[in-house]
Amino acid sequence: MTAHPSRTDGVAGSKLMTLAEAAAMVHDGDHLALSGFACARNAIAFSHELIRQGRRNLTLSACILGMDADLLVGAGLVQRLIYGGGSLDRFGSLQCVNRAYEQGTVVAEYYSSLAVAFRYLAGALGIPFMPMKSMLGSDLLARLKEETAPDNVLEMTCPFTGDPLVLVRAMVPDVAVVQVQLADAEGNAQILGPRWENGEAAKAAQRVIVVAEELVSTDVIRQQPELTVIPGFRVSGVVVLPYSAHPTSVYRCYDHDHDHLRLYVAKARTEEGVRGYIEEFIREPGDHVAYLQRIGGIAKLAELRADRVLGY
Amino acid sequence: MRAQTEAPEFTTSELMVVVGARELKDGQLVFAGLGIPQIAVALAQRTHAPRLIVLNEIGLVDPHQIELGVGNADPRHWYRAAVFSSFLDIVGMVGHRGLVDVGFLGALEIDEFGNNNSSEVQRDDGGIRRFGGGGGANDIASHAKSTIMIIRHEARKLVERLVHNTSPGFLTGGDARRRAGLPGRGPSRVITDKALFTFDTTVGRIKLLSIHPGITHEDVRVSTGFPLEIPPGVPETGPPTQEEVRLIREELDPTRMYTSAI
Repeated sequence: MTAHPSRTDGVAGSKLMTLAEAAAMVHDGDHLALSGFACARNAIAFSHELIRQGRRNLTLSACILGMDADLLVGAGLVQRLIYGGGSLDRFGSLQCVNRAYEQGTVVAEYYSSLAVAFRYLAGALGIPFMPMKSMLGSDLLARLKEETAPDNVLEMTCPFTGDPLVLVRAMVPDVAVVQVQLADAEGNAQILGPRWENGEAAKAAQRVIVVAEELVSTDVIRQQPELTVIPGFRVSGVVVLPYSAHPTSVYRCYDHDHDHLRLYVAKARTEEGVRGYIEEFIREPGDHVAYLQRIGGIAKLAELRADRVLGY
Repeated sequence: MRAQTEAPEFTTSELMVVVGARELKDGQLVFAGLGIPQIAVALAQRTHAPRLIVLNEIGLVDPHQIELGVGNADPRHWYRAAVFSSFLDIVGMVGHRGLVDVGFLGALEIDEFGNNNSSEVQRDDGGIRRFGGGGGANDIASHAKSTIMIIRHEARKLVERLVHNTSPGFLTGGDARRRAGLPGRGPSRVITDKALFTFDTTVGRIKLLSIHPGITHEDVRVSTGFPLEIPPGVPETGPPTQEEVRLIREELDPTRMYTSAI
């Protein structure tokens, strides 16, 4: 996709940009906070573009990783993961992530998911760390201290109560990409359904990229401002791209595509398979519209559209 | 052995659902993921615990599904929730706060102290096989008032030494859990496809509570990788009632996604 819709041309303060422009805001070596949770609201089109642009040495973070992370790891863009878990729900595990972990080709900073959320929260609040009582006595903490993140966790005794505490260090991602249902041109971004750690991750990050299914006027945002999770003043770029989380789901927009998720899981079983997938569905199509053609076009997309009552 | 005619025919997973449901009380706040825990909770809500509230880490309070989804992230799983919020709101301000009564945990391995590995196992060639990771499991295990673990009963799963202690139970036993500063009271039950276990909290060690119908003491012994005392008079797990089986088959898991024969 190249140009954004013409009806927004000339909007004052517009942050609308192309997918390629937005992906170029992520630099080699950056820490990117991802948007998805297993097979919901993943930043798929954005990840495709990072792969096409050949970004390198990324750090990815999320409470629960999804397919976007698996693709980026499978394409060899990633050197470090900061996470609590990840899967494609019943479709299967994140095979590229797990393979990279087993082979030692990524450093896996592996926490409890709440610890990841606490690290974002501290980053968002501008405080140096958060104390917590998760991970005490566990091998999660032992490995973080001894192997993967000795600078990011500490144990101490609470100065007020004397209780044992774990301190997790604030995390400030270079970029957070957040996949949302609605945004205006200024970046006011509304998420329908549960928000997992999207709010804290975005507010912790230096730069925020919003990828929206639908562009709306600010008047629409102002009709239900309680849905706005990220205020426009924190957003650096807005990309409007329908079906940009496919094959993962976007609540009230479209369901996950189980045919395609099954196909991906079968391909991702081997390194060769995932290379073939990246060639067939990312490099050869070359852009998001051509990708949507390749996965079945309008017939498939119509089939995935969410029911108005159910939301899926 | 119980006479075959006394109870309806049931699958092992249906029995595990029923055993899970019986552990739950009305009004409790419960963390329950996909599969047997989700069906167990729904069964409890339909029978003795109509005001039991389910929480989900993705940011949900009290959903009422009309279709089973593929996972926590499937909007089928979110249907008619009372709250849509965030990870921090649920796992933090309910879980870390210490308000969760029961957390269900799956496991790749557990040991006799109820420590739980949901991260990785050793391959036969000595390498590591990585799984998805625990997600919020450690948070639940650390803070919930009780946890119920569900695991397939095999000697390579009920082990003497875990590959990775992802979610601590009683650590090395005795008062090790309390000394480590973990606020939750620790594991309370383990439900396998062969037996039901509890924990002796004074020594922080697993204890057999009942053996499922049709399973011999020898089956349990050889399928358990840590030393286990099997008292001669250990009772048989009570079978499901006709109504429980009907609810599971006709209303809670009509497509038999989680409760078909193993």
